[in-house]
Amino acid sequence: MKIRNLFLVCFLLLSPFLLSAQKGTESPYKVDEIPMPEGLDAETGGIGFFPDGRLVACFTRGEVLVHDFKTGKWSAFAEGLHEPLGMIVESDREIVVLQRPELTRIKDTNSDGIADLYEKITDNFGLSGNYHEFNYGPVKDKDGNYFIALNTASSGAGFRNNPRGVVNLAGRDSTNGRKQMYSVVPYRGWVLKITPDGQTIPYASGFRSPNGIGIDPAGNLFVADNQSDWVETSKLFHVKEGHFYGHPASLVWEKQWDGRNPFRVPVSELNKKRSEAVVFFPHGIMANSPSDPLYIPAGTQFPQFEGQLLVGEMNHDRIMRVMLEEVNGRLQGACIPFLDGNGLRMGNNRLAFAPDGSLLTGQITHGWAGSKGIQRISATGKEAMEIQNMKLLPDGFEFTFTLPVDKKSARDLAGYLIRHYAYVYQKKPFSEPIDHSNQTDVQTVTAQHVTLSNDGKRVSIKLPGLKKGYVYEFKLDRIKSTGGSPLANRLVCYTLNEVPSPAGR
Amino acid sequence: MLKIFNIIPLLLVYLQVSGQTPPEKIDITTLPGLQFDKVRFAVKPGANVALTFTNSDDMSHNLLIVRTGKRAAVVEAAMALAEKGPEMGYIPKSKDVLWHIPVISPGEKKTLNFTAPSAAGAYPFVCTYPGHGFVMYGVMHVSHTLTMPPLDKDPDVPDSRKAPGDAHTAHHHGEPVLHPYELKPPYMYRAFMEESGLASIAVRLPHELAFCWDAEACKLRYAWSGGFLDTKDFWHGHKNAYPKLLGEVFYRDKEAYPLRIGNRDLVPTVIFKGYRIVDRYPEFLYLVNGMEVQELIREKADGSGLERRFRIPNGLEPVWFLYGENDGMEYGVSSGKTDTERSVRLTPVEAREFIITMTRIAVR
Repeated sequence: MKIRNLFLVCFLLLSPFLLSAQKGTESPYKVDEIPMPEGLDAETGGIGFFPDGRLVACFTRGEVLVHDFKTGKWSAFAEGLHEPLGMIVESDREIVVLQRPELTRIKDTNSDGIADLYEKITDNFGLSGNYHEFNYGPVKDKDGNYFIALNTASSGAGFRNNPRGVVNLAGRDSTNGRKQMYSVVPYRGWVLKITPDGQTIPYASGFRSPNGIGIDPAGNLFVADNQSDWVETSKLFHVKEGHFYGHPASLVWEKQWDGRNPFRVPVSELNKKRSEAVVFFPHGIMANSPSDPLYIPAGTQFPQFEGQLLVGEMNHDRIMRVMLEEVNGRLQGACIPFLDGNGLRMGNNRLAFAPDGSLLTGQITHGWAGSKGIQRISATGKEAMEIQNMKLLPDGFEFTFTLPVDKKSARDLAGYLIRHYAYVYQKKPFSEPIDHSNQTDVQTVTAQHVTLSNDGKRVSIKLPGLKKGYVYEFKLDRIKSTGGSPLANRLVCYTLNEVPSPAGR
Repeated sequence: MLKIFNIIPLLLVYLQVSGQTPPEKIDITTLPGLQFDKVRFAVKPGANVALTFTNSDDMSHNLLIVRTGKRAAVVEAAMALAEKGPEMGYIPKSKDVLWHIPVISPGEKKTLNFTAPSAAGAYPFVCTYPGHGFVMYGVMHVSHTLTMPPLDKDPDVPDSRKAPGDAHTAHHHGEPVLHPYELKPPYMYRAFMEESGLASIAVRLPHELAFCWDAEACKLRYAWSGGFLDTKDFWHGHKNAYPKLLGEVFYRDKEAYPLRIGNRDLVPTVIFKGYRIVDRYPEFLYLVNGMEVQELIREKADGSGLERRFRIPNGLEPVWFLYGENDGMEYGVSSGKTDTERSVRLTPVEAREFIITMTRIAVR
C-alpha cells in the first residue's frame, strides 16, 4: 500500500510536467476532410487547382470534378475517361489528363464550366491490355514539355489479344517470369517526354511501377518506383535523359538494344548500365509504395521545409519528406516522415498545395492497400521539434533542427540508434514473395562524437567509416528541444551514394 | 449398458487428446482488393482445426488469429514495429496473437493446425502486412452450436462484405449509383472493349441503344440494344477484365474501312484526334489520309437504328462510303449518288456534311 501511495504522489507531482511535455508534442498539423459528393467512388487519380482557387480532381471511374470551397459544391467538369491517374491544370478552362490510352487536353471552350473538347496530345505508346499498365503524370517543365511514366505489365496476368503497338516478347522473362513485371509493347517501363509540338520521345528507361512523378522549379525530374522484382526497396530517382534505372524489361525498347532478352543479360552488366536512386525508402520501414513527389515552393504553410520534397505513401497513414543535397555533383539525401496518422489515412496517392498554402492529399486504393477521399493538411501554428535538414559530412552527418536542442539530450551518444544496410540489385529469387525486401549487411553503427553549433540548432555526429551504397538509418530517441519537446519524427534514412571529400569542405 | 455409456465420452476424450478426430478443415484464400474470400467461419470449442491459407493474390499476406476484440490493437502493434517489421514478418510479439501463418507469397499456401479455444467467442483473423490490416480481416466464431451473429451485425466482418453487391451500392430505385451525377443517355465511357481496340469509346444512346467506337481504328465497331455495360470487374482493375455488354449486338462492322477519300479501293490511314461534346454526344475528330473528318453518331429518332453524320469540311476529292454486307443493316444516305450496289459517292461539296442512316432490318 505504501509503495502504491508513494507512486501516486510522484505521479501527481509529475503530472504538470507531463502535461506540459504533452502540449509540446501536439501536432503542428491538422488533418481535415474535404467532403466528397454522394455517389462518388473517391479513388483519386489526380488533384490540382484552377487559377481561381477551385479544386479539380479526377477519379478512376473517369470523372473530373470541381469543388468550389466558397459554396462547398461539387460539379462535373468532364466524365467518361479511362482510368485517369494524373492531371495538371493549364488554365481556368483547361486541364491535361493522362488516361489509360492517351494524354488528353480537355477544354471548356464555351465557358459553361463543362468540358466540351477532348484533344489527344499523344497515344504514341503501347497498350497490351494487361491490367497493371497504369500511366502516371504528366508533369510539365518550363519549356512546356510534358513528362509521363508508364508502368510495366504485371506477371499476375497476361496480355490481351488486341494489343496496341508492336509486340516484342523479349520484354518478358519467359523462363521463370512468374514474378517479373514485363514490357511487351513499346515504352512500358519508360518515362516519355512530349514536346510542345507533339513529338513523343522515349526519355529514360528501367522503371517498374513508377506511380509518382514530380518536377522542381530547376527542372529536376523525380520519379518514385515501387519495390519488388529488381527494385529491392522503393526508391526516388532523379531522372535524366537516356539513363536506365534498373528494371530490365523496358530495355527492349532502347534504340540500340541488341535484341537479347534483357532478363537474361548478366546482372553485373545491367548493374553497370543503371543509374542509382537518390533516395531509398526502406521497405516496410519508411514506405511500401511511395507516390507523387511534390516540391515545396515558397509561400506554403510549411516554410521550414521550403525547397524540399514531399512524397505520398500508400500502405501507411503517412506522407514523407525528402531532403536532398548535391554531393560530388549528384543529388542524394534522406527521407523522414512528414506526417504520420493524426487523422491522415493511408493511400496518399496525389499531393498538391492549395492556394492558401495548405497541402491536399488525394487517396486511392485501386485494389491495394489504401483509402479513398481527399484530405487537407494545414499548419496549426504550433512549433514542432523537427529535423529540418540532414546533410552528409566527410565523417558523419549534420542535423539541423527547427528549434535549438537541449544540449544534454543531444550529447547523449546512446540516444542515437543508428544502423546501416544495403539493398542488393538482383533478379528476385524465385522462391521469394513479391513484396519481400532484403536488407543486406544490417549493422549497428555507434556514434563516436557529437558536436553542437553555437545556436544549438545544428548537431554533427561523427561515425566510423562511411560506406557508399548504404542506407544510414537514424532513430533519434532522446533529442529534445530546449523547451523539452521531443522530435515529432525520429526515424530518418539517408541514402549514401557519394561521400564528400574532406578537401571539398 | 452403463459401461458403454461411460466408455463413449472417454473415447471421445481419448480421440481428442491423441488427435485422432479428423481436424475441422478450413480453407481460406484471397480475393482481389485485400480481402479474404471467407470473412468468417464457426468451429466448436476445443475443435482441432486445420486452417489452410492459399494466397491467390498478387501481393504477399500473412494471417494472424487474435484474441477477442484485439484485432485493431494487433494491427496497430504491427504497424508500430516500424524498422523491425520486415524481419518479424509484421507479426508483433504479443499475447493477443494466438496463432499465425507467416507472410506467404502469391501462389503459396500454408496450413496451420491448432486447437480452438475452449472459451466460446469471436476470434478475429487478420493480415498485418503494412496497410492491409485495416481492411483485410475476418473472424473465427467459436461456439458450441456453431452459430454466428447476423452478418451485417458482425463487428469483425469488413463493411464491404456485409452488404451483398458491394461496391455498386444500391440506391433509391435499386439502380446502382456509379457516379456523383445522374447518367442520362447520351453518355460515354472510354474503356477496354471486347472485339475492339484497347482505346475504345462506349456510348450509351437513348432508346436503349449503345455502340462501341474504336479510337485506334477510328471507326464504329458494333452497336447493341438493351442494357449498357456492367463495369464492375473492369473498374475493379485486378486481372484483365472487360466491361460486360448488357444487351444484344445488332450490328458488327466487318469491312476494312467505310470511308474512302480520293480512291474508292484504297484503305486509308487514319489518325484519331479527339472528340467534342455536342448535346452530350461525342463527335469524333480524326484524319483519313490526312483529311479532317468529324463523325457524330446518334440514335434514329424512332430508335430503329443509328444516324451517322459525317463532315469533311476541307475535302477536295470525292468521298465514298462503303456499306456493309449482310450486317443486318439497311443503309440510307442524305446526298450523293449510288456508285455501286454497296457504296455511295459524294462530291467534295456533298461530303462537307452528309448523313448515313443504318436501320435494323429485323426491327424495321
